[in-house]
Amino acid sequence: MIVKLYEKQLESKKEFDLILITDQVREAVADSGVKDGLCAVITQHTTTGIMVNEGLPDVEKDIEILLEKLVPHDDPYVHTRMLPSYGTCSGNSPGHLKSLLAGNHCLFPVIDGKLVLGHAQDIYFAEFDGLLRRKYYIHIMGE
Amino acid sequence: MVIDIHAHPVLFDVINPDDETLSFRKKQLGVYKSGRVPLDFALRLMDDAGIDKTLILGEDYSADSPRPLVSNDEIKTVLDAAPGHFIGFAGADPRKEDAKDELERAFSKLGLSGLYLNLSRLRMFPDDERLLPLMKLCEDSGKPVIFNSGYSWMPDTPAKYSEPVRFEDIACAFPRLRICLSHLGWPWHMQTVMMLMKYPNVYTDTSLVYMGTPTAWYSQIFTKEMDIGWLQNSFADKVMFGSDLPRWRQVRAMKGLRDLPVRKDVLERLLGRNAEEFLGWRERDDR
Repeated sequence: MIVKLYEKQLESKKEFDLILITDQVREAVADSGVKDGLCAVITQHTTTGIMVNEGLPDVEKDIEILLEKLVPHDDPYVHTRMLPSYGTCSGNSPGHLKSLLAGNHCLFPVIDGKLVLGHAQDIYFAEFDGLLRRKYYIHIMGE
Repeated sequence: MVIDIHAHPVLFDVINPDDETLSFRKKQLGVYKSGRVPLDFALRLMDDAGIDKTLILGEDYSADSPRPLVSNDEIKTVLDAAPGHFIGFAGADPRKEDAKDELERAFSKLGLSGLYLNLSRLRMFPDDERLLPLMKLCEDSGKPVIFNSGYSWMPDTPAKYSEPVRFEDIACAFPRLRICLSHLGWPWHMQTVMMLMKYPNVYTDTSLVYMGTPTAWYSQIFTKEMDIGWLQNSFADKVMFGSDLPRWRQVRAMKGLRDLPVRKDVLERLLGRNAEEFLGWRERDDR
């Protein structure tokens, strides 16, 4: 059994930012030496997500519009207060809720040393609370 | 020009070379879970918010602390690392005998633009005579002073030392000294309103979002507890945008002001022109 963990960093450029990371995941799988197994992509944060969808700008815009409808910026959220443990104010409830909808990880098969994706599938790191410097894991397990 | 008049640079990487220094600053200011912020990233955040300049506050409580929270030389380090993007205010601990000398050095040698004092942290009332030499130096030098006013989120800061009306003696004794009673003096914001109306040399800033979103909070303060006409017509030339970075992200604090139902000329004043007058960069029309 081979187990490899890669920690990747990126910087989001705007508050809602869908960042393609398919190539980085493919590279990690190729580097891992795993021929047959499973690849998990996991975000380290609570206002981001990992998503799979078709890498087209119109699809990305529809995702943004839908999430904005479901989680409007100016709803009366509870998570709007001073946080003693941070020393800052919580103003990012929409990011937390969009993260809940997106999910924190995705799983993919690894066969013959390659990441297996459907022909239209791309992997996104989804930022809902940018701009920020972010991290995610690529965890690969197999033979 | 858009100016953020109230920011604490405690997390900037250029003044935090080691974790011990960073940890000291985080504990002193009370920003416990926050991490080091690379200066180039701070500039990107300013750019994203549409902010041309951010005023960073030096803070010195070294009479009872191992070192200044942010020294004047460290403020100068940030200014030099990003020329044109920041305005530096000095700190000086009035409890120390060399406070006036240090402030003179900050103005003449380091080129800093004003003085910041948190009297709640210093446990000094505004009528404390130890403040007088610093006030006189600032007035004679044409340098403005920002006081913490009302609530301070910093640990160990009793609010009674920063009640807005207690600054009245300074406003009277130093009529050419421009002073900012920050945070609108919340929760004594009606006292601050009186000070703004009575004294041409008194200003305030909007670094006061302690509950809810900036949009909801500013609406509560300026349209419910006050009539919006107060801000628009009576002291539109006295209120300056301040984010209280890192308590709030600049872009979010500013959105709250942009959402206020005020005229365009008033918004322009809040976001920059008033700060230019406070800093002495522009003549103020006192008519």
